[in-house]
Amino acid sequence: MSIIQLKNLKKHFGNQEVLHDINLEVNKSEVVVLMGPSGSGKSTLLRCLTFLEEPTAGAIKIGEHTLAAGEKLTRQRKNKIRDLRKSTGFVFQQFNLFPHKTAIENVMEAPMIVKGMKQDEARELAQSLLDKVGLGERCNHYPSQLSGGQKQRVAIARALAMKPTVMLYDEPTSALDPELVREVLQVMKELAKEGMTMVVVTHEMRFAKDVADRVVFMDGGYIVEQGRPEEIFNQPKEDRTKRFLAQVIGE
Amino acid sequence: MDVSIIIESLPPLLNAVLMTIFLAVISIIIALVLGFFTSLERISKIKILSKIASIYVSVFRGTPLLVQIFVIYYGLPQVNIEMDPIPSGILALSLNAGAYLSESFRAAILSIDKGQMEASVSLGMTYSQALRRIILPQSLRVAIPTLSNTFIVLIKDTSLVSVITVTELLQMSSLLIAKTFEPLTIYLMAAVLYWILIAFFTALLDKVEKRASQHVTL
Ligand SMILES: Nc1ncnc2c1ncn2[C@@H]1O[C@H](COP(=O)(O)OP(=O)(O)OP(=O)(O)O)[C@@H](O)[C@H]1O
Ligand SMILES: [Mg+2]
Repeated sequence: MSIIQLKNLKKHFGNQEVLHDINLEVNKSEVVVLMGPSGSGKSTLLRCLTFLEEPTAGAIKIGEHTLAAGEKLTRQRKNKIRDLRKSTGFVFQQFNLFPHKTAIENVMEAPMIVKGMKQDEARELAQSLLDKVGLGERCNHYPSQLSGGQKQRVAIARALAMKPTVMLYDEPTSALDPELVREVLQVMKELAKEGMTMVVVTHEMRFAKDVADRVVFMDGGYIVEQGRPEEIFNQPKEDRTKRFLAQVIGE
Repeated sequence: MDVSIIIESLPPLLNAVLMTIFLAVISIIIALVLGFFTSLERISKIKILSKIASIYVSVFRGTPLLVQIFVIYYGLPQVNIEMDPIPSGILALSLNAGAYLSESFRAAILSIDKGQMEASVSLGMTYSQALRRIILPQSLRVAIPTLSNTFIVLIKDTSLVSVITVTELLQMSSLLIAKTFEPLTIYLMAAVLYWILIAFFTALLDKVEKRASQHVTL
């Protein structure tokens, strides 16, 4: 049963089409890794999924939320987009933590403001999520007092606080020093094990091999090929995939 | 120079300092509210609101404060809007400072990384929840240095309302000079009092600024 469904998704920036007719389905508890060269449209695809970018054409379904692209932004549509976002966690490359709030306040914010959760309950929830990502001790630190890896783990906890059915990650470890990458991937791996549905844009081959059920390779706004990680990495069919892999492994 | 003149002039001058502080504090409070809402109007997507706001800002930044004071105090009575000197002065000072403050607020709001808004809405917040809870608290912290600068300028600008007979520090000095014929002594005393006043507020605002800027960046 697919939990995410993209139908004929197109995205234009001005008169440049950066996503051409993307069709993609993700099953419940599946982990999909999106790979591809810079500018191939990975971020745009992910951002369209939660309407951080408004798609130009096509339809998006996440869980029970279905939205067609390019409709007028009425109040009703805004509410539908908001409902879709509530069930979709998004993790950014640059973390985007709220700098004026402590780690625990970052996590408590959305449950309280969006869901109207009581402060005590939100605090308890936030504490348990920070414990889960290994930052229970740091809950009263401000983002400026945390390392990059810790910030990203708080950001993951913040997204989880809305109890999403799907987690989207846009290069979650690209802004991190190499020695901090592991701790973040570890948290994501745990989540995958618990059955979280995830779409991850990353160039971490190790993570893709160990955790992904499927690797989707994009180039120039197209899905070029997809398959099990070992298929894509060991026997890529397309030249573009081969070239890209050679380059990534070369690094 | 006569020491007794200094001693005799000090009490009325200090009294006038209170009026100067009163004018500055009341005006900055009104200006903060005015500037804050004007900045929201200016970034609003409702064209007519942002147009009105930008005309207001342009007019009050583009004309001398002294002219604004004259229009309000001497001009408006002609259309039957009459106000006493003090309310007139406060109105002019706050409208003027409000225009400058709205620009600082606006710049501060726009300076917040767009990732903050994206993170907020991706969690399901509405635009206005994100603005209220995430963007504005950070903007205020960013704006504090320019806010305190505006306040310092405002303290100095209060001296302009002396022309409509508000007995603040400068007007009081002129009154005393008319009695004592000691312009150098009295004006120097006024200058020193302005200086002390501004040094005091500068130090105070520096402290506020330090505390507020602790966690503004990531
Ligand atoms: N806001 C925007 N306005 C105009 N063009 C954009 C915008 N965002 C992305 N693009 C263009 O869309 C294309 C796809 O960009 P996207 O960021 O999705 O690529 P990506 O695969 O995520 O690349 P990277 O690996 O560098 O993050 C690029 O050509 C980019 O220049
Ligand atoms: Mg990208």
